[in-house]
Order: sequence, then C-alpha cells, then structure tokens
Amino acid sequence: MKVLMLGWEYPPHIAGGLGVACEGLTKALAQLGVEITFVVPKLMGDENAPHMNLRDACGKKYKRRRQKRIKTFEIPVALAPYLTEESFDDLVGELDLPETRRLLNKNFFPKFTRSELDKFLASLTLAKRAQILLGAGYNAQVYEQVALFADLVFEIAKEEEFDIVHAHDWMTFPAGIAVAQAAGVPLITHVHSLEYDRSGPGINPRIDAIEKAGTGFATAICAVSEHTRQVVQKQHCLPLSKIFTVHNGNLSKKVTKFHKDKAKWTGPVVLFLGRVTLQKGPATFLYAAQKVIAYLPDTIFVMAGTGDLLPSMKQLAKDLGISSNLIFPGFVKGRALEEILSIANLYVMPSISEPFGLSALEAVDFETPALISKQSGVGEVLNHALKFDYWKIQTLADYIINGLLHPEMCQDMIDGAKLELKKLTWQAAAKKVLKIYQHVCGVQHA
Amino acid sequence: MPSICFYFQVHQPYRIKKFSFFEISPDLYYFDGYKNSSIIKKVAEKCYLPTNNLILNLIDKYQGKFKVAYSITGVAFEQFAQFAPEVIESFKALAQTGCVEFLGETYYHSLAVLYDEEEFINQVLRHRLLIQSEFNQTPQVFRNTELIYDDRIGYLIAGLGYTAILAEGVEQVLGGASPNYIYQAPASCVKLLLKNYGYSDDIAFRFSNHKWKDFPLTPEKFASWLQRYTNEVQTINLFMDYETFGEHQWAETGIFNFLRELPEKVLSHPAWQFKTPSETIRDYNAVAEISFKHTTSWADAERDLSAWQGNRMQKKALKAIYSLKNQVYATQNHWIIETYKKLQTSDHFYYMSNKFKADGDVHAYFSPFDSPFDAFIYYMNVLKDFKTQVIRENY
Repeated sequence: MKVLMLGWEYPPHIAGGLGVACEGLTKALAQLGVEITFVVPKLMGDENAPHMNLRDACGKKYKRRRQKRIKTFEIPVALAPYLTEESFDDLVGELDLPETRRLLNKNFFPKFTRSELDKFLASLTLAKRAQILLGAGYNAQVYEQVALFADLVFEIAKEEEFDIVHAHDWMTFPAGIAVAQAAGVPLITHVHSLEYDRSGPGINPRIDAIEKAGTGFATAICAVSEHTRQVVQKQHCLPLSKIFTVHNGNLSKKVTKFHKDKAKWTGPVVLFLGRVTLQKGPATFLYAAQKVIAYLPDTIFVMAGTGDLLPSMKQLAKDLGISSNLIFPGFVKGRALEEILSIANLYVMPSISEPFGLSALEAVDFETPALISKQSGVGEVLNHALKFDYWKIQTLADYIINGLLHPEMCQDMIDGAKLELKKLTWQAAAKKVLKIYQHVCGVQHA
Repeated sequence: MPSICFYFQVHQPYRIKKFSFFEISPDLYYFDGYKNSSIIKKVAEKCYLPTNNLILNLIDKYQGKFKVAYSITGVAFEQFAQFAPEVIESFKALAQTGCVEFLGETYYHSLAVLYDEEEFINQVLRHRLLIQSEFNQTPQVFRNTELIYDDRIGYLIAGLGYTAILAEGVEQVLGGASPNYIYQAPASCVKLLLKNYGYSDDIAFRFSNHKWKDFPLTPEKFASWLQRYTNEVQTINLFMDYETFGEHQWAETGIFNFLRELPEKVLSHPAWQFKTPSETIRDYNAVAEISFKHTTSWADAERDLSAWQGNRMQKKALKAIYSLKNQVYATQNHWIIETYKKLQTSDHFYYMSNKFKADGDVHAYFSPFDSPFDAFIYYMNVLKDFKTQVIRENY
C-alpha cells in the first residue's frame, strides 16, 4: 500500500500538535508495511524520518534520505504557522468577509454535492480550482500559501505512485482534493480540529468552506475523537458511516517536575491553559473560581494564554472581586510552561468544544489531574478525569474544591490515568487507519 | 446423598444523591428518594415478585423437596415496606412454606466488621430482630456483607450464636480442597459453607453470554454437570444475587424457564436433593478444618476487599465515616444515628472503585454515578454536611 500523505509541519519544527501526531502515525504505519511519501511545505534539513519518504513541496529540491520507505520533499512555501492565536487574529483581520460570502453563495458550497463539485472542478484550471476551494484567496497570505502548496503538490504527485491520498487538516485539503481527483485515487482527510472548535460562532467562513469541501470530497474521514466525529457530521451534514474515530497515540514524555516554591505560591494552584477565546470557556473558569474562593480563599487561579477575550476576562475577574486570587501570565511556553504544569494542583479545561485536548494528557505527565468538559474528545480515552458539562459552573466549583481537599483522590486519578495513557498507542491508531485504507481501496475498486 | 444449597442475596442500598458541596441539609436529606423508589419498584416488578411467585409454585409442586435460602438486608426491607410492600407479603408467604430459610447478616449491609466490631454486633442483632419479627424465624446461619470472611469473623459469629457462616470458595485458601464439602472454622464451633463460584457464576453471570462455549445453558445440561459428582460431594452451594432472575438476566434470556425446570432435572436423579443451609450443616459432618488467614469476599476477580478499599478514596471515605461514631452516638438523636448507619452500606464504597477494566463494568453497572470520582465527591460532600449537623446537635 502506497500513500501520499500531506501535512503542514514535521518535528522538530512544529507550531502545534499536528506535526507530532503525523510523526507518530507515520512511524506506526510504516511498521505495518505502508509506504508513505509525506509532503510538507518546508523542510529545515534536520528532520529525522527514516521510516518514510518525507519531502517538502519543492519538487526539484527533494532529497532522498537513506532508507527504504522515506523520501523527503520540500515545498518552498513561506508557511504561515498553524493557527496560533496571533496568526488567527491576523487572519481574521485580513478577511474580506462580504466578498467571500458573495463568492460562496455564487458558487457551489451551499448546495454542495459530489457530482456538482466534480463537474465544477473539472471545468477550471488548477490555480483557479485551488482559489475557488479556498473561497477565493484574495489578500490573505495564508490562503495563497495553501493554494501554492496545492499547486506544488499537484506537480510532485505526477512523479509519485500512490494508492491513496491522506491529507491532514484544512491547509492540505485543497491539495488533497486536486491530487486525488487527478490521480483517480481515494482521498482520506484527517480532521485534527475543525474551524467550529477553534472559533465557535466567530467561524471563518473560508476555512469552514475548505473543510466542507475536504470532508465532503473525501472517501473517508478520520476524526481524532468521537466528539469530533459528531461535530464533523453535524457541521458538514455528512453520513457518520464515512467518518471514523482514530484517537491519537500517547505522546507522553519524561518530564522534570518542578517543586512548588513556597515563597512564590502561597496556596493551591488551579490552572487554565490555552487560547483565551469563547470556545475554551474561560468565563466558566472565572465564575467557578469565585465560588471556590469563598470557601478556600488561599487558592490561586492561573489563566495562562492569550486571545481575544483576555481583556474582558481581566475585567470579569475584577467585577467578580477575585482579582487578587488570579494570575494572567500571558502565553507561556518552554520551561515556564513545564513549571506551571508541575506546580498546579488541578488542571481545568472547560472547553465548549474540544476536538481532542492533548494538554489534559500532558498535565497527567506532570502529575496534575485534569478537570475536563464532557464536550472534550480526550475524555473518551481518559477515564481518570473529572468530567462536567461546560455550562455547569457549580459542578466545576464542587470538583475543584474536592480536588483541593482530597489529594488522595488526585493521586488515584494520576495513577489510573498513567496506566490509561500506556494503552493509548500509535500502533492502535495505525491499525485503524490501515483498516480504513483497505476499506476505501475496496470501495474504490468495487 | 449429595444436595444443592441455593442461597439468594436480596439487597438494595439507600443510594445517595448528587449532593453539592454548597448544599446544607439540616434534615439530613442525603438520599435520592426518586431514584431509590423507582429502582425498588422496577426490580420488584422484574425480579422479586415474579421470582418469588415462581419459587412458591416450585415449593408447592415438589411438596417440600425444593428448598432455598434468602438473606434480605434491613435497608432493602425498609425500602420494600415503603415503595413495594407486596414484595414483603410475598416473602412472608414463602416463609410460611417451611422450605425457605432466612439467613442473618448486618442490617445495613455494611463493612462494620472491618472497622468497628461493636457496631457490627449491633447491626447483626438488629437484623436478627427484624427476621424474627417479620418471618418468625431466628437465623441460624450467617452471611456477612458480600461474603466477606476470615477466621476472626468466624470467631465473632460463633460468639453470636450462629452455627455456620457462608464464604467464597477461594482456590488460594482451599489449596486444592473442594468447596463441595462442609468445613470447620478453626478455634470455634462454626461450620463453613463455601460457594461453588464456577457453577454459581454460570447462572449469575454467564447464562446469557453468547460468547460462552457452553451457551445456551439448559437445565438438563446444568443438572448433568452436577450429577457427575454424585458420589464425590456433600453439597454444591449455589450462592448469587437474587436480582440475577429477571434483572441482571432479563426474562427474555430464558432465566425463569431455567429456574422453573431445574428442580425436575436435578431431582430426576434419585440421589440428589435440595437443602437449606441449616439442613446442610445438620446432615453432613465437616470433613476438615480450614483456616482463612486473609480476608476474602465474592467480589471481583481478586475475591478480596479491593472492591471496597482498593484505592485511596475508598480508604479515606471509610475512615471518615467510622471515625464519626462517638460524636454520632453522643447526639442520642435517632435520625442522626440512622443516617450514620445508612451511610455505612458497602455499596457507597463499591461505587468509588476505579478498576476500569473487566470488573469496572460491573462496578459501573451498579453505580448511580458517572464515575468513581463522582461517587467519592458526593459521598464526601454528604459527610461534610452530616458532620456539621452532628456538631450542631452536640453543641
């Protein structure tokens, strides 16, 4: 089985969790005998992927790495990073919303069907095709790059032999669609997160449209959780029968645990970590904090991260009269991140919709038990967590108080969670993906 | 002349509600009345009433040759009286046949024997009074909560005047000996009746399992298995939850037909009989003395105490409730003392088990909570409030 896999990044040069996931998945797939050509926009030269053919999107510059199943391809696309909060804000600023809507309405998206899409795409040039799929990538640089990536991958694909195209997340969907259609092979799109999860009501219609096309055109879709599977189905009106849940493998690593500096941290610490946007539920965190502080006034609540709601959250903390218990350190990474994760007594993830929520597993590595919303995919693989509906502030406060009062429970959660993480392997994920490959090839040939 | 000894456990706990940390309840309203009443009514309809009726018919049909034993907890009895009094009537009808024995246990289905012997004895005597007044029998044979047993418990029970006690036939303890004989507990006159868990679980757990190699289990098949031992055994002890009939195994699985036809198949062999636990120990001599140095039970694969005190949460909760004793009794408030005892029911701690593997499914099946952590948190919230009320009463 030969697979052309399209990704946006590869370790060690990563902006999000996508690159790590791609590494884990491809390694395990290679063990199962799948030959992979993996294309990313840009290689830095120090990537280590002997298990497959890794290349960036610049066809002429590809280097063949020593080893059987690996080629490296570089596409010289100056990549906009994987939607970090900063780049996301930039993107929103650049959007020409009315124009996009006009185009979308005029074109096929609202009444999208497979045959219509095929017909429509066939009538266009490659560049135009990419543009349309991108919702006409006017001024936004990231869309141009996505389109350029699609063009370059299309060229590379001519030199490659493959049975399946496997595209990770929306940036590679246009490339995936173009290549799969031209080569007449099945397309698998892998949804690590959806625009709906990232932005909620402030959804970016262009990205949403790309996701709609990518998932609609795909023969099969991999979703990183059952939760995401349901969201894909609901958002894009697709049959559940073609969406498959493939939980990510365990990414846990050995960590150094920092000890609580008594001078600096005078009380127990409860941590919120992530973009301060509506979908992450920061307000829930603050309202629950207010209830907890009434009983445990020493508790320190840390809201780490930035985002559009940060100023209003700071204001809310003032309004609730809990400012003195709150710390807003901004975006933390590296050593500071490790420190805060190890010092925290509890990790809270009150997301309204979370495709997976890897950070809850990372918190477990730091022996910090997780309190997660039931609307988070990670809950499907983590039994040893406290789970609440994201709107139930009192339940969350109850959990926080009990978590702080009963370290015995936290220790039981950590011990159990660690055992659960051991069972969460990339081998298991790869086996599922291979089954899907076999399934779609069967479908295609039938 | 080998025999079969059936004993059925009848128990329903007072499940606690999702009691918030922020809630204050001066009237000690900690139990989920709606859930408890609806479960009692449902199980009465699916299991207790039809099965009692069936057993009564069988006793009638075989004219004294079919016999069974029950152990009904006090907390289950109270809830029947409140939500399904017809269940009590049907048990009374069974008691009058003379073919049904009622065993002794703790009124509150508690783990008191592990934490507080005085409290344990108190609860056992209370249960004895209940059985005497309601069924006109004095229990002779004892069944501790979830078949929890060790030598010390045997000794305690002997002191309370019981002649025998039920225990799990744990292989590690038996060391190759068969559970199908009567044994003697060391240093006391109490005899042991050991559960044959293979055959018991064939009915209680595997009966409707389509993946089981012996599925479907017919009365003929089951009787023929037992009859292979005709010349080798004294008694085959089939101990199980009564809810096996109609609740754990739904009527659709054919469990009632199985029970209806089993006596005929067993009695078709002239050597075989049904005996109650008291008759069993009266009619057979103990073949050997056997010592249970470690505490055993019938729960989970481990068959030890890990189902109730396997993790830190369970240990903390148990320690917390049993440490309240002196304060609680000092109030001399009947309602507070009653609540204290209802909070000792073993089920509360069983729900806190975080064995998420094979046995975890069994824990989750019974639990009214979404997770063991919820079970712990709501229990501790209740204890927090309860403690406040106790202190207030003593003030």
